[in-house]
Amino acid sequence: MPAATAAGGHPADHAAAPLLRLIDIDKSFPGVHALRSVSLDIHAGEVHVILGQNGAGKSTLIKTLYGAHAADKGHIEVEGRRVAVARPADASALGIAVIFQEFSLVPYLDIAQNIYLGREAAFARFGLIDSAAMHAAARTILDDLGLDYDTHAYAADLGVAQQQMVEIAKALSQNARVLVMDEPTAAISEREAERLFATIARLTQKNVAIVYISHRMKEVQMLGDRITILRDGAVVTSVLRDEMSQTEMVGAMIGRPSGSQLARTPRAPGDPILFARGISTAKLSDISIEIRAGEVVGLAGLVGSGRTEVVRALFGADPITGGEIALSGSRAPTTLDARVRAGMALLPEDRKREGLALPLDIRDNATVASLWRRFTSGWFSPAAAERDTRGLIAQLGIAAHGTHQTVRTLSGGNQQKVVLAKWLAAGSRLFLLDEPTRGVDVGAKAEIYRLIDQLVDGGAGVVVISSELPELVQLCDRAYVMRDHRIVGHLDDDALTERAILELVVHQ
Amino acid sequence: MTAPTQSQQRPGAGQFFSAIPGAGILLILMLALFTIANPRFVSQTNLVNVGLQASLLLMIALPMTLIILTEGLDLSAGALLGLSGVIVAEALLAGWSVFAACAMAFAISTAFGALNGVLIAYLTLPAFVVTLGTMGLMQGIALVMTNGDPVGGFTPAIETFYRSQLWIFPMPIVVAVALYAALWLLLYRTRLGNYVIAIGGNKDALRLAGIRANLVHLAVYVLGSAIVGLSAVLLIGRTNSAHPTVGIGMEFEAIAAVVLGGTSFEKGQGWLFGAVLGALAITVLRNGLNILSVDSSLQVVCIGILLILALLIDRARKHYSR
Amino acid sequence: MTIPATLDTRSPSLSPDALALLGRLILIVLIAGALTAVDPGFASVSNLLNMLRQASLLFLVASGLTLVIIGGGLDLSVGSNLTLSACLAAAAIKTTGNPWYGVAVAVTSGTLIGFTNGLMINRLRLPPFLATFGMLWVAQGAAYWFMAGQTIYGMPMSFRYFGTGFFLGVPLPIWITLVVCVVCSIILHRTTFGREAYFMGANQTAALLSGIAVERRRLLLYVLSGLTAGIAALVYLARLNAAEPGIGEPLLLPAIAAVLVGGTSLFGGSGNIVGTVLGAILLTIIVNGLNLLNVAATWHPFVNGAVVLIAILADFIVSRRRSESG
Repeated sequence: MPAATAAGGHPADHAAAPLLRLIDIDKSFPGVHALRSVSLDIHAGEVHVILGQNGAGKSTLIKTLYGAHAADKGHIEVEGRRVAVARPADASALGIAVIFQEFSLVPYLDIAQNIYLGREAAFARFGLIDSAAMHAAARTILDDLGLDYDTHAYAADLGVAQQQMVEIAKALSQNARVLVMDEPTAAISEREAERLFATIARLTQKNVAIVYISHRMKEVQMLGDRITILRDGAVVTSVLRDEMSQTEMVGAMIGRPSGSQLARTPRAPGDPILFARGISTAKLSDISIEIRAGEVVGLAGLVGSGRTEVVRALFGADPITGGEIALSGSRAPTTLDARVRAGMALLPEDRKREGLALPLDIRDNATVASLWRRFTSGWFSPAAAERDTRGLIAQLGIAAHGTHQTVRTLSGGNQQKVVLAKWLAAGSRLFLLDEPTRGVDVGAKAEIYRLIDQLVDGGAGVVVISSELPELVQLCDRAYVMRDHRIVGHLDDDALTERAILELVVHQ
Repeated sequence: MTAPTQSQQRPGAGQFFSAIPGAGILLILMLALFTIANPRFVSQTNLVNVGLQASLLLMIALPMTLIILTEGLDLSAGALLGLSGVIVAEALLAGWSVFAACAMAFAISTAFGALNGVLIAYLTLPAFVVTLGTMGLMQGIALVMTNGDPVGGFTPAIETFYRSQLWIFPMPIVVAVALYAALWLLLYRTRLGNYVIAIGGNKDALRLAGIRANLVHLAVYVLGSAIVGLSAVLLIGRTNSAHPTVGIGMEFEAIAAVVLGGTSFEKGQGWLFGAVLGALAITVLRNGLNILSVDSSLQVVCIGILLILALLIDRARKHYSR
Repeated sequence: MTIPATLDTRSPSLSPDALALLGRLILIVLIAGALTAVDPGFASVSNLLNMLRQASLLFLVASGLTLVIIGGGLDLSVGSNLTLSACLAAAAIKTTGNPWYGVAVAVTSGTLIGFTNGLMINRLRLPPFLATFGMLWVAQGAAYWFMAGQTIYGMPMSFRYFGTGFFLGVPLPIWITLVVCVVCSIILHRTTFGREAYFMGANQTAALLSGIAVERRRLLLYVLSGLTAGIAALVYLARLNAAEPGIGEPLLLPAIAAVLVGGTSLFGGSGNIVGTVLGAILLTIIVNGLNLLNVAATWHPFVNGAVVLIAILADFIVSRRRSESG
C-alpha cells in the first residue's frame, strides 16, 4: 500500500527558500510571445493566486510547469535545486500536480480506479488487482479530505465539483506538494466552492502549496496569500494580499488605467428588435435584455460569467428552460434555423470550430447562411455566388487570393471577416458578436469597428461581448454587466465607463 | 447529475434488478411469450440447444464488448470466424496435429487483429471502415483457400471435443462460461481492464497517467481477434466441417447482442454481462421463432426490431430517471 | 488534391479537384494500356462497353453513397437495399406483367429504406454506421424471407431493355449512369442543398450555427442514397433478368471503395460525383484485368478489401498533409 496520507514533509518556513521557483521562463509560439521572462516563487503552505485574462499566458505557464511545454529560456527550481521538467511524469515525480479544467477522469471507472489509474501495480497480487485494498486506500485519502463519497461510484455519476475533489484526491495520492488549480470554480456552485475552499485550507495546513489560477476577485481576496498578476505573458506585479485593492488588481489585469475615454457619438436607437424576459437555461438564470435597432449593446463581465451562454440562448443554440424571447414584437421562432431566417446572426467566440468550415473555400463559407435567401428557388448559381463573394471580399477588405482560397489558410482577422461576410450576405438585422476582435490584428480590428458602425447606421442591432473594457466602452451605447451567470447591472450614456464596469464586475 | 443513473450499473447484487437493461426485460417477456405459445420451448433439450447457440454467439460478443468499450467496432469478426475455421480444417487435412492447426489459426487471427489495431489505434482511422476492409481480405482468403466449398473430412477429434461434456455441461457452454470468467477478471480485476475502459472514456487521461494508450488499444483488437480465431475451432466441431462463409453475419448478431445488453458506443460505458443478456435475448428470439416456424431470414429482421425496442426502452428509462 | 491551397490563384488554370480527377483518369488509361498489352482483346469496343456497363451498375450503387459521405454520414445498407428492392420489383413485374409497377416498387422501397436510416440517425441518435449496418441485415433478411428460397426470373423484354438495350450504340445502363451522374452533379454544385451538404460534412457544428436545418438535410441525403440504390436495383434486375437474395451484398465493399478511390473523403465535406464514376471504372478495370490474368473470381472480396484499405490510407495521408499545410 502506498503512503496515501503523506502530503508534504516539513513544517512551513516562509523565510527559507521557496518550495518551487520559476526563473525567467520565456516561451514563444509561432506569432505569439506567450511568456515573457516570468518568475514566480511558490512557498509551501501558501495559496499563490495567478490572476489574468484569457490569453494572458496562464495556461502556457501551467503547461510549462507541468512539462507539457518546454520553456525556451529560464528554468525551474524545487527546494533550491534546479530540476528538469520535460514530461508530465517528471512533474509528478517532483510532486507537482495540476487539476485541469477539463478533468482527466475516466467516466466509467469508479473513484478508486480513477485515483490509482496507471498505478494499479501497487495493489496487484498475481496480476489481479486487490480491489478491497485499493478501495481502502482511496477511502483513506477521501477521509483525509473530509469527503464521504462512495469509492465505488463512477466518475460519470459525479457532479463537476465532486469530480474536482476526486482530482485533488488523485493528486494527493501521488504525494503532491504543489497543487495547481486551473479556474477550479468556473463550473461549480457557490456551496460547492465553499467546500473547495475548506479543502484548500486543509491542504495548506498540511503544507501543500496551492497555485490557484482565477479571475474571480472574491476568491482572490478570500484565498490568496500572494497574488501575481499576468498580462500579455508578463508578470505585471506580485504582491501580498493586503498590498493591493481589488479595483487596482482588476485594473492591472485589464491593463489600462481607467481614464482617457474617447468620446462616443450618441446614436438614436429605433424600435426594439429583440426583447428577452426572464430567460433561464441550464447555465443562466433570469436574464432580461432589450436590443433596439441602430444601437450597440455591450455584454460585459469576466470570462465564465455567462456572456457566451446569453447569446447562445438568444440565438437558439441552447435550449431555454424559462422566460420568453420576442423578435420585432412577436414571439421568436423556436428553432435556430428559423431565428436565422428571422434575421439573427451569431459570430461565435471559437470561429474555427463553430463559425467556419475550414477545409472549404471563402465562397462556400461566405454564402452558407444566405443560400435560403439568395437562391429562393433552391437552384444555386455559382456565378452569382462568385459575384456576391467578390463583393463581400471587397466590402470587408478580406485579403485573399480569390474566392476559392481555403479558409484554413487565411489569417485570424480575415477568417473573422469571412464569418461577418456570411451574416452580411444573410441580411441579418441582429448581430450577436462574441469577442469579435479576439486574435485579430490591429488593422482588422479597426475595420471590424468600422463595420459595426455601418451595420448600426443601417438599422441593425448589435450585441458585443468583449473582455477588453476600452473596446466595450468605446463601441457600445450601453452595456449589461454580468457576474455569476446573471445580469448585475446596466450602464448607459455617461454611466458607461471602464471604472463603472469594473466596480460591477468586482462587487460582491 | 449527482444521482447515479439507473441504467448500466455494474452487476452488484442489490442494484441488479433495478438495473436490468432493455434486453433483460425483453428476454423475460420473450421467455414468457414463447412458453405460452409452445410449451415445447421450455423442454430440457430445447433449453440446452439455446445454451449451445448462445455460447457460440457469446464467444464473438464478449471480445466485441471490449472493442466497443474502446469506442471501436469489429466488422471483420464474422469473416475471421470463417477464415480461421478454414485454416484449421485445411491444416488438419494436410496432416498437422490439432495443436499445430490451432496455433496456426491463432497466429493468423492475431496478425489480422494487429492489422486492425495498428490502423485504428495508431493511425486513428475509423474502425468501421478499417474492419470492413479487413473483412474483405479475410473473406477473400477463405474463399480462395476453399474455392467457396465447405471443407470436411478432417479428424473427428474436434467434433468429439464439441460434443464432450464436463460433468453434465456441454463443452461449448463450459468454454463460453470460462471465457466470460476470464474476460470478467481481465476487465474488472486487472490493470488492462481499467485501461480498456479508459481508452473509450478518456484516452488522454490514460496518456497523462503514463500509460502507452495506443499499445493497449492495439492489444484489445489483437485479443479480440485471437478469441474469435480460437472460437472457430468450436464452430467447425459443430458440423465437423469448415465453411468459408459460415461467420458472415455473426458480427452483426454479436454487435446487436452487445448493444442490446446496454453497452454504449460512447465513453467506455458498458458492462460485460450485458453481452450475455444480449446473446441470450437474440438466441431465445431465434429459437422461439424457429419453434413457431418463422423463417430464419425473417428472424434477422426481428433482431433489428428487438434492437430498436431495447434502445427505445433504455432511452425512455434514462429520460424518466432524470 | 495534394496541391496546397495557397497555390490557388485568382484564375486557376486547373483547380485541385480537377487535377485529382485528371490523375485518376491517367491511372485508368495506364492500367487499360497495360492490360491491352497483355491481351489486345481488352481494348475491343465490345469489351470496353461491356466493362463500362459493369462499372455503371457499381456507380449507381455508389452515387447516393457519395452524397451521404460528402454530407458527413455513411450508408452501409446500399447493397442490401438493392437486393430487397430488386426482389420486390421482380415480384411486382412478375405478378402484374407491367414493368412500371416494378419501377414504382423499387423506387418506393429504396426510398423508404433510406428514409428509415435517416430517421434512426436523427431520432434515435444512432451513429450512422450502426444504424445503416443494422439496416443492412434487416433488409437482407427481409429479402431472403420474401423470396423464400426462390429465384424470380424471366422479365418482359420491354423491361430488360433497361439493362441490355442499346441507344445510339451505347448500352442503356451507361446512359442511365450519365443521367444519374449529371443529376447528382447538379444537386451537389447547382442546388443550395448540395452546398449545404458540403458544409455539413466539413463542420456540422458550424452548419448548425449558420442556420442550416441539419436534420432535414441529412434525412434527404439518406433518402437520395436509398433512391439511387432502388434505381440500381432496376438496372441490375433488367440486366440479370433474375432476382435472388444475395445479389446486392457483395456490392457494398466495391461501392465504398469506388467512393473513396474517387477522392471523396470519408471525413466528409469534400469530393465529387465524377470522382466516383472514375472510381467505379477503376475498380471494374481491376476486376476485369484480374479475370484477364486468369485470377479466380474468389479473389474479388480480397481485392475489394485491399482497395478499401489502400484508399482510406491514402485519404488519411492526403487529409493530414492538407491540414498541416494550413
